Amino acid sequence: MNSRRSFLRELTGSVREVAAAARTGSGTFLASPASSVPDPDLARYSRQLVMPEWSGAAQAALGAASVLVVGAGALGSPVALYLAGAGVGRLGIVDNDDVELSNLHRQILHFTPDVGVPKAHSAAAKLGFLNPEVVVEPYQVRMDAANAAGLVEGADLVVDCSDSFETRYAVNAACCAARIPLVEAGVLGMSGLVMGIRPGESACYRCAFPEAPPSAPTCAEAGVLGPAAGTIGSLQALEALKLLTGVGEPLLNAFLQADLATLSFLRVTVTRRADCPDCGRA
Amino acid sequence: MASARSTGATVTGVAARTLDITGLTCPMTWVKTKLELERMAPGEELRVACREGEALENVPRSAREAGHVVAVEGTTIRIVRA
Repeated sequence: MNSRRSFLRELTGSVREVAAAARTGSGTFLASPASSVPDPDLARYSRQLVMPEWSGAAQAALGAASVLVVGAGALGSPVALYLAGAGVGRLGIVDNDDVELSNLHRQILHFTPDVGVPKAHSAAAKLGFLNPEVVVEPYQVRMDAANAAGLVEGADLVVDCSDSFETRYAVNAACCAARIPLVEAGVLGMSGLVMGIRPGESACYRCAFPEAPPSAPTCAEAGVLGPAAGTIGSLQALEALKLLTGVGEPLLNAFLQADLATLSFLRVTVTRRADCPDCGRA
Repeated sequence: MASARSTGATVTGVAARTLDITGLTCPMTWVKTKLELERMAPGEELRVACREGEALENVPRSAREAGHVVAVEGTTIRIVRA
């Protein structure tokens, strides 16, 4: 345990050092000499800023955005990494679990020395290391129907990377009530699903899946392949960026079913249900 | 420290913005130019001071692909915002 603590201590120290270096422009951590990179903040995002679809306005929208990531596991890892890398201003990370050895093949935010460390804190340390400009807020709590409304409050977007139908319904209900855009996803084995939601405008998760299947296998029972989770999580991050910036066409009123064993992708149209208990207009 | 500078200037009676990207390398040359153009109104002109080489080829091409009207005079790139 001592080695784990010292690992995180060292990592946190390095993050502070990088942040201080970035502020003063004096850092030895900057890969390029200051003379060729006059604006480190801009250089960080330059490869997305040069995209014709992207703009300064899109970048500013990300920087001003507050995103809540529910779960720092297989999906939450790529989601949080890509959102932090892209320059989302504030990232809340909700997870009540500790890192386990069996997580590491797919949960790429966590490393072997993190085993036993709360995932929310392990994630915050890595994200700070990746992008010191992002404000990361770890919440070491399990999201449920009782606390969901409070946790999503103030978020501009929620990315649900949880691993149970119970949590997904709680997140969906809270986002619908607060009208907060949401990106849902699930992954199991070599298949997964992604769905973007603009509450009040597009079909919500419960419109698509009114009830949980009677005996849904869990990740622990059915297993999951790391890159399968990485693929679905990356798609989730992509949809989150679209919803935050208006760049591209978000996956709304539909979900994407991905069979990664055969690389078959099926876009399934979903319509809003008037009697939906979460977003229904009745 | 080299940096891109943008100033308001009056050229032949017409207000034109200027941007100095001589200290930058790709892709920052186009990133800075693109962001400056975003801040301008359609029809406004931006005069970009550039070095010989990669940027002098890439920035005009990127600007044209983005739909702007571009003319190159020596190492000055004149861009009229679309």
